[in-house]
This record gives sequence, structure tokens and C-alpha cells, in this order.
Amino acid sequence: MTTLTVSDGCVVLTGAGSGLGRAMAVALTARGFTVFGFGRTPGALRETHAQCHGGAFYPVAQDVADSVSVAEEIDRIEADHGPIALLINNAATYPKVDFLEASASDFMAVVNTNLGGMVNCSHAVLRHMAERGRGRVLNVATFADLNPLPTSSAYSVSKGAARILTRALVADLGDRFPDIVIGDWMPGMLKTRMGIPDGLPPEVSAEWGVALALWADPALNGTTFEQNTEVLPPIGLKGKIKALLTGKRRKPRVIG
Amino acid sequence: MTHLLAETHWDAIVIGTGIGGGTAGRALAEAGKKVLFLEKGPAGYRSERQGLDDGVFLPEARLTRGLWPEQVHLRLNGRDSAFFAPLGAGVGGSSVFYAGTLERPERHDLEHSADRPHPTGGWPIDYDTMRPWFDAATRSYDLCGTQDPLSDEAPVPLRDPLPESPGDAALMQAFRDKGLHPYHLHSAIRHVDGCLDCLGVKCPKPCKMDGRSAGVEPALATGNAALLDRAEVARFVGTGNRIDGVEVRHGGATHVLRADRYVLAGGALNSPRLLLASANDAWPDGCANSNGLVGRNLMFHLNEMVAIFPPKGTPASGPSKSVALRDLYYVDGQRMGTVQAMGIDVSYGEIVFYLNNMLERSALRRFGFLRQMTRIPAAIAVRLFGKAKIFVGLMEDLPYRENRVVLDPSHPTAIKLEYSFHPELLSRRKAFRRAMKRAFRGQRHAFLGMQPELNFGHPCGTLKFGSDPAKSVLNANCRAHDIVNLWVVDSSFMPTSMGVNPSLTIAANALRVADAMTREPAP
Repeated sequence: MTTLTVSDGCVVLTGAGSGLGRAMAVALTARGFTVFGFGRTPGALRETHAQCHGGAFYPVAQDVADSVSVAEEIDRIEADHGPIALLINNAATYPKVDFLEASASDFMAVVNTNLGGMVNCSHAVLRHMAERGRGRVLNVATFADLNPLPTSSAYSVSKGAARILTRALVADLGDRFPDIVIGDWMPGMLKTRMGIPDGLPPEVSAEWGVALALWADPALNGTTFEQNTEVLPPIGLKGKIKALLTGKRRKPRVIG
Repeated sequence: MTHLLAETHWDAIVIGTGIGGGTAGRALAEAGKKVLFLEKGPAGYRSERQGLDDGVFLPEARLTRGLWPEQVHLRLNGRDSAFFAPLGAGVGGSSVFYAGTLERPERHDLEHSADRPHPTGGWPIDYDTMRPWFDAATRSYDLCGTQDPLSDEAPVPLRDPLPESPGDAALMQAFRDKGLHPYHLHSAIRHVDGCLDCLGVKCPKPCKMDGRSAGVEPALATGNAALLDRAEVARFVGTGNRIDGVEVRHGGATHVLRADRYVLAGGALNSPRLLLASANDAWPDGCANSNGLVGRNLMFHLNEMVAIFPPKGTPASGPSKSVALRDLYYVDGQRMGTVQAMGIDVSYGEIVFYLNNMLERSALRRFGFLRQMTRIPAAIAVRLFGKAKIFVGLMEDLPYRENRVVLDPSHPTAIKLEYSFHPELLSRRKAFRRAMKRAFRGQRHAFLGMQPELNFGHPCGTLKFGSDPAKSVLNANCRAHDIVNLWVVDSSFMPTSMGVNPSLTIAANALRVADAMTREPAP
């Protein structure tokens, strides 16, 4: 019972109007799931809706940066449609602008969407998941924080902080609710509006993302995957001693 | 400042929601009394599954998890140390983290006789008076297990246990072949559908029976009880022989809540601390403390952990959870105790934790880097003990006046203890280890400790009951000699620590005391 099925509940997917989000909505509905797709642009959500077949896709015009309306929307979904089994925090913006050229409030608006959106949606959904003691949260992440590119300050900071949030959520919830499985996924460089022209087609990446999102093994709590392979955390001295003495070597897990 | 709950007239305020408070509060609510539970910690989510994790050290994070937030300060043989004790602070108290082993004491634990003299001359109530309450608690906690083959007493009303695992069955047979008398220990795990075997961790199902599931929850279901969680009781207020109210800090404000009866169940470390912290002009030495005995006679059990290897060819089947034996309960005229499965496997983490705790209390503790070095013997031990089943011998501690809970006036919420190993205890421990070695001779086994290990999860004795007001804090019905409207229903009441886990006796006594309270008019 480590793979989520339609009977476990519905899915909330943010950033469902474009690129990777749309491709994941298509892949989830193709598996029969009911998907609530959050996005800022109703027209783009309508286009996603048109491409979804199988399960139901509900477009939800929702700015994830608005904590009050996010909480209301999540409560409404739980009340009207039953448990949210899976949250995919995918919404992000990536305005490429020099730090001096953007205003401070422009910077913080990006943080409010990329980090704030993840805080708002996770907070609203996890309160319900905690009542049940089970659920899955997958955060779409990047390595942007490691070596910030020029014109990417707000994006790098907010996405880096989002990765810290994943670890902080595991620190707060992991021991109490081992069946609420929270982790990061790096889709890789994609051929999307936010990505690069010769990147991976989002449909390919979305299949990995959806397979990982539906993989609710408690052992995945706190893990990071890049494309279809686990990124093992750096190992400290204690871990090295333990690995040496117990003879146990780590092996990255692979999706599928 | 008034509080919504201050406007209700409560028949009883129960302080603490562990086995004692939960069980007594439920009995009172079921008898139609209006009951208010006060709990220092949070109610939490019912789905929580955490254990007593030593790795969580921020007080706020500990309290969120239902763990006692602060370290216990212990002066052991004159040397100070501080550590996180296995204490809960949440609905259900410590019991939500227990392994659910509710063993019945033996007649000589309570009674004096010529061939088994009792160190205190005996409890003020005898075994036969307690028996119906043991039976009632056995039913209330839905215990399963088998009868102790060495017992001469009437059979215990137990449900049939699940069949033993192949490992436990093989171990039991090996014990029997050695002439020992193993039985299926008495367990409060109900094994409902999807049972997670929550030994040592919070149970998310109506399965493990504890102060929450067998106490507070059914009490609230009667409609007669209410719960105020995250409510820190600061002190009792009152004069003369009567408590007028209990001062509670809740939500950043201080309130005084009032009831006809006050039922104290904060555990054997906190109940005396609260009484000492309630000193005022009328009670200069603390509430109910005219004879100075509040907090004294602190006892724990001594844990003797031993790894026993199942016979060759036994299939691997996880940790042993079900085996107990009482062959060493009373040896050569000495009070020893029960030997039972710990319910855990020896893993690397547990051994590191165990060795570091030993280190913390040794003279080497000032060399911090040694904490890393314990990993090497731990890793070796994991390989050696891979298949071993861990058993613990619980050896009875006896009451000594100088072992006690003390109040730190500058930090009245801190648990502060003074304890010394009495020479009598150490020599009895040697005899107990010899007896264990003898009993397990021929089976591969290894003791897991050299130094005497106190079981900080089993404190008791600090508000002992007795018939003589000069020599005890509580009367035979566990009402304070000094205070007409104060009862105590946690393990503080025990004059001796017995040779078994205290939970069943706490629950049985709580039922007995609640019954006596409902039979008397409000004082």
C-alpha cells in the first residue's frame, strides 16, 4: 500500500496552467485521479482542462501567494470532495531581472509566490493530512540555490528556501506522522517557458514526477529525486563510520 | 481572571491524564460526576506515532510531541546530572509511550507474612481487597496473556493472546526445557485490524489501551468530562485542611479553577513537586506536608538488561514481545522481580543511545568526543546481538527517606531528584544478576550493562499511603491525611515498588479510590 490510488483521494496541483504542471495534470487524470489545478490564469487552466482525459480536472483560479484564500479553497475541497491524498507544489515564477533593476517589492513578490505559495498550500493541506496521519506532498525543486545565475536572485533565494522548507517540514512532522511523505523532486532542464529550448519534453519528465508523487513509501520521507533517480544526501563522518562498520552501502533509488 | 471552565461547578478536577488520572477520571465521569481534566501537554493529533525520542531536545518541540519538555536534574550518589527522562506531557501522560505491559503484583508485594516479611510491615490494604480492582482494571484495559504458572492465586480474567511468534515460541520452549516457567505477559495491546504493535510509541488506533484510550477518551464520551490541555498547574491555593482552588497557567494567563474534590495524578515526580510548590502561610512546608514526607521514599526499579539468543535454527521473527517469567521474583528470601521481554530489537541507534547514557553518568562524561567513540562498540554489538532478544529483569527498589523529589524554589517547574544507591540495593542486585545468570545458564546470553541502571519510567512512593498520619502522606483511601478534599491516584501512593511494572496497580488503585470518593459526600 505504498502507491496512492484513486480511492485514497484527490490531488491538488499548483501551477497547473503551464509547462510541467499541465503535463502532470494530464498524466494524473490519465490514471483516473481527480485533480484540482491551481493557477493564476483562467485561460491557461481551461487549456489544461481541454487536454485532460480520464479523471476529472477542476480548474481553480487561485493565486498561491494569498494565504487566506488558499486555506479556504483547500478546506472547501476537503469538505466537498473528500480527502486530499496528494499535494504537488509546482507553482513558481522565474522573472529574469538584475537585482538592482528590480524593486525590492518585485523581489519579495517572487518569494511570496515561490516560497509563500508552498508554505500556504502545504500548511492548509497538512492540517487535514495530520488528522488522517497519511498523505503525500511533492515539492518541485531546483538546484538554483547552489550557484545562483545572474538575473536570478529572487528565484534562487525562494527556491533554495523552499528546499529548506521541505527539510523543516520533515523535522516537524516526520517522527509524528511517518505516513505523511514529503520530498523534493528536480525535474531537470525542461523544454518549457521557464526552461531551455533544447530541454527535455515536459511530458517525459511529468511521467517521472507523477510516478514519484504517487509513490507514498514512508521511507521516501525527506528524499530528493533528480529526474528519475534519488540524490543521496551528503554523508558525514558519523555516517561514514557507521557504513564502514556495519558494511551497509547506500544505493540511490530509481523511479519505476 | 476568569476562564470559561472556571464558571462550571466541577465535582472533581483531575490533574494529569496518565494511567492514574485517566482511569480515575473515567470512573468518576461514568459515575455521573462532572470532571475536568487538566493536562500540561497537548491533546495532539490522534494519528501521531512518535516515540520517546532523545534526539528532540528543544522544550517546545518536546511538548508538541507529548514529551516532558525539560530535563530531569538528578543528584545521584552526590553527583549532578541532567537528562531527558522517559516522561510524557500530553493526554495519556507517559502511558501513551509505554509498551502496555500490565502485570499483576504478588501477594507479598502488598502483605507482610512471617516467611516473606514486608519492608514496611505491609500496605494498609491487603491483596484480597485489591483483587477485585485488579480484575476490574484487567478488564478495563482489555488485557490479553496467559496465567503465570507459578501463581497460587485465582486466575486473572485475561483475553487469549495472539499465538507467539516462532521466535518467542522457541524461546519459551527453551526456557521450559531449563525448568523455568514462562508465560505470555499481560498486554494492553488489543491487536485491532492494522495493529502497528505500538510498543514504546503513540498508538494511532483504538488499540493500545493507555491513560488516553482507556481513560480520558471514554471519560469525554460520557458527556460528563471536559479536558483543558496545555494547562500548567502552578500550585494549590487553600488554608487549613482544605484546598480552595488550583492555579493554572493557560494561554498566557493565570486562572484559579475550583471543584469539590481535587485528584492529583501528575506522576510520582511531579505530584510531590506540585505539593511542595504550594507552600503558603498556612502550609509553610507545602500542601499535605505537615510530617515532611512529601517527596520522600522515591523509588525506581533497577533494570537488568540481558540479551538472550534463541536456540540455533530459530527463524528470524522480530523482537520478542510476549514472554515473561517469575522464577526469579523472590529468591533465597530476597525481593527480586519479574523478567520480561523488552519488545525491542537491539539496533545500532539503541545501543549508541544506551552507551552514551552510560557515558553521561560516568566519570568520562567531560570528554565530549567520546560520544562519537561509542559508535564503534555499538556497531560491533549490532553484529553480535543481531538475533538476540532483549529481556529486562525489573528488580524491586525499597523506600529510603533520603531518596526524594526536591523543589527548586528558583525554578519550581523543574523536576529535581536526589537518589543514592543503598548498599542493601547493590548487594541485592548482585544476587539478582547471579540468579539471572544461573537461570539462563546453557543459553547464550549477555548482560547489557555493568553499572546499576535506574528505570526512570517507573518512579513511585513519593506520597505513600498508610494508616499512621505520622508515617504516611495519604490514608488508606489515598486521601491526604492533612487535606480533606485532596486525593492522589498516581504511583506516588505506593509504599513499596513491587517486582512488576506499576501500571496495573496504578489503574486498579485509581478505580478503588474513585469508587471510595463517589461513596462519600463531597467534603
